Amino acid sequence: MSNSDIYLLTTLLVYTGVAMIASWGLDLQIGETNVLNFGFILFEAIGAYVTAILSLGPDTANGGVQQYVFGAALPFPVPWLVATAAGAVLGLFMGLLTLRRLRGDYEAVVMLVMALVAFYAVSADTSLLNGSEGLSLIPAPFQGLVGGGPNTSMTYRWVYVAVVAFVCLLAFFVVRRITSAPLGRALRAVRENDAVAMSLGKDAVRLRILVQVVGGALGALAGAMLVQWVGAWAPGSWTYPETFTLFAAIIVGGRANASGVALGAIIVPGIILEGVIFLPSIGPSYLTPALQWVLIGVLIIGFMWFRPQGIIPERRRRFPALALPGGVEQSGAIQLVDVEPRRS
Amino acid sequence: MSQFIAATGFGIVNAGIFALAAVGFTLQFSVTNVLNIGFGAIMSLAAFVAYDLNVVVGANIWLALAIAAVASGVLSVLINRGIIQPFLKRGTSFFGMVVITIALDLIVEYAVEAIWGPTFLHYNVAAGTPVTLGSLTFTHFQLVAIGISVVGMIGIHLLLKRTKLGKAMRATSCDARLSKVCGIRTSRIHDAGWFLSGTLAGVAGVILGLTLGTFSFTVGDQYLIVIIAATMLGGIGQAYGAMLGAVVIGLVTQWSSLVISGGYSEVVAFVILIAVLLVRPTGIISGVAADRNMAA
Amino acid sequence: MSADTVAGGMPETSRSHMAVATEEGTSCILETRGVRKSFGGVVAVEDVSITVPAGHIVGLIGPNGAGKSTLLSILAGAQVPDAGSIWFLGEEISRQNPVKRARKGLTRTFQLSGDLPRLTVLENLLLAAPDQSGEHLWAALVGKRLWKRQEEALVIRARALLNRFDMRKHEDAYVNELSGGQRRLVEIMRSLMANPRLLLLDEPFAGVNPSLSRRIESHLIDLRADGLTMVLVEHELGVVERCCDPVVVMAMGHVIAEGTMGDVRTRGEVLDAYLAG
Repeated sequence: MSNSDIYLLTTLLVYTGVAMIASWGLDLQIGETNVLNFGFILFEAIGAYVTAILSLGPDTANGGVQQYVFGAALPFPVPWLVATAAGAVLGLFMGLLTLRRLRGDYEAVVMLVMALVAFYAVSADTSLLNGSEGLSLIPAPFQGLVGGGPNTSMTYRWVYVAVVAFVCLLAFFVVRRITSAPLGRALRAVRENDAVAMSLGKDAVRLRILVQVVGGALGALAGAMLVQWVGAWAPGSWTYPETFTLFAAIIVGGRANASGVALGAIIVPGIILEGVIFLPSIGPSYLTPALQWVLIGVLIIGFMWFRPQGIIPERRRRFPALALPGGVEQSGAIQLVDVEPRRS
Repeated sequence: MSQFIAATGFGIVNAGIFALAAVGFTLQFSVTNVLNIGFGAIMSLAAFVAYDLNVVVGANIWLALAIAAVASGVLSVLINRGIIQPFLKRGTSFFGMVVITIALDLIVEYAVEAIWGPTFLHYNVAAGTPVTLGSLTFTHFQLVAIGISVVGMIGIHLLLKRTKLGKAMRATSCDARLSKVCGIRTSRIHDAGWFLSGTLAGVAGVILGLTLGTFSFTVGDQYLIVIIAATMLGGIGQAYGAMLGAVVIGLVTQWSSLVISGGYSEVVAFVILIAVLLVRPTGIISGVAADRNMAA
Repeated sequence: MSADTVAGGMPETSRSHMAVATEEGTSCILETRGVRKSFGGVVAVEDVSITVPAGHIVGLIGPNGAGKSTLLSILAGAQVPDAGSIWFLGEEISRQNPVKRARKGLTRTFQLSGDLPRLTVLENLLLAAPDQSGEHLWAALVGKRLWKRQEEALVIRARALLNRFDMRKHEDAYVNELSGGQRRLVEIMRSLMANPRLLLLDEPFAGVNPSLSRRIESHLIDLRADGLTMVLVEHELGVVERCCDPVVVMAMGHVIAEGTMGDVRTRGEVLDAYLAG
């Protein structure tokens, strides 16, 4: 494999891994709990910005070419961890603001609008995060360990891929543990019918805020990993249609199924959006990206019509046979109605 | 003071355009109960179709506007028949429909980019002489935009209140099943709702292109969010609420630019929207939409 | 909760509350005082004061629009009353949300929309069990060992319930794959898994075929024999006559009669209400 092939392939892999983690975060919200977060990309944005300002150092560095608040040069993996925490805090904020009060349709719009407010505010204020120009020259982590950077060392690029893969594995287990525990069952009950869930003592508001927090943390972690790979981050990197790439990944792969969502992330943000870097370019430079978006729209509608459950549908959860010693299960010895003991 | 008056003038022009689009958006929602995100892309498409008619074919801009608007209406009906209704018949949820209209939005918007490219275009029109009304100065096109908007609003009002079609539309928006039982052909009413909505989107798109001077394929979606904000501010599904919301958003975004940088005008509009929704979750004028269970 | 305590019969519970003694000396699970609710000027429930004695099935009947389901929603916490108070196990709960009430043992079924369609029957039952350690984020993340034993105990208990209701073979079915009557059964079993002190049933026989209706009816009578207290909203008077004592009759938002079925059916105002309705 030539270096340029490795260059493209590692880029494809990192982007896919990042999208996979973000898709899992979003799927916890829309797939498991029916929290329609049309502003999910905001989590990726905050993760990326936090990582950037925590690794760039003071903004007087690099000859003061860009402005931002609170510059620091913290070692890997501190910026990623702080970014993840920031995503969780933002999720808590979004959850407290929207989920406590609003009906589903308004809640979805408010989350979208919050992402837009942040987009316009960050774009307009140059002193905050360098405005619409965005931040660049964001240092690559662990260069010292590998002995080279993303543009000089192919080893570095493979190491980064390995780190992303490791984080993906970690995120996969986090998501699987949540969804396969009784917690996941409670989330799906809220998804199916939150009035019923509440009548059974499941605190729907708390559960919805919880998936905002966990999903937000995953989204921010994805943003953190992306920004230190790319080295730059601007409002143009997180326009609101980006959220729909993740929606498409979930719809195509299979909602409420971590493996399905992973497959969807490989197909949509991976192969369809990034895979084209391997193809010879056709027509003017804008044509391919435009057709990619058209294709994503067609895929969403096509899957919604022909296979709404996605390629790998949600698992039907079965429980193994269990029995107490002595065949108690069959004997009817179990008290079914739990009333207080009668006073004798 | 003169700045304030100038901002008010711009605000009125914007309010007029927002009102056309917001009424179209909200009517379609109230009649069919589908939140059509593809509306923005239809606006862009109309602006570009009018561009081809005006610049390539050489038609008069007003003729181009009329043809583009009708074409948008027809396309909307086709989208309704071909995609929306089949999904609705299957019982797709409210949010499933939102996702589908977002997909439609992506398809139409980026098809426009693929066909016309990402460049900024402008119509082939003479600037005309500015008109001064008191201390307000309007360009020729701004005045026409306000005029079209006022005529459009009166037309919608008469349609809803005075015609049989309007009554049927209002009845369908209250209770589609009951209307059907009462002998209203709801599928025709849905077609009419989509046609009207698409036509208004087309008019708003072309006028937006005219008053902005130059526009690109994202023009519709850039304004769609503001239009949705105006709609929700007025209480979604409410035609008169949408008009009111459009005026509020149009004026406030312009006035705010006097106090803080113009880059924040959208932020101001959205913050107002969020605040209003948190205080009064059904919008300024609540009604039909509040009684409906849209989370189905 | 360990498997042993379940098998032993009485799942341990942290709840400690006393039933209130009424003047007659029987203990009363729930009491309302002057409850009122209106929707935009239309009064749905007006000055309703009822008591629910322990170990009984209280029938709540009346013509359409009498306010029965609204009252049930108010009891369950889905609607907040405009005036009046609700007392459950000696504690005022008028302002508590449905989640809190459910956790105290006040459980309801729904008239139409009580399904969780894309959960299996067994999952529906497991879901309802209170105080599950595996519902906490940290326990879910730490792993199965923190919640496996409790889950297994619940599975065993849920399967026993399924056996008793003759639904064991459907445990892996999604609820949207079942018939209407089976769905009602799932809802009742699910409510039982919540260890209710009081079960509010909103027309559990609506749309259920006659033979399944009779089965549900005999299950309710068995549950009463086990000591469960219930409020049953129903307009099929035959069922009410066989199951319920006492019966509360509502019309136009008011309670117009109370007593045994034989008692209230002879009262003129009850007949008037039904004929007028």
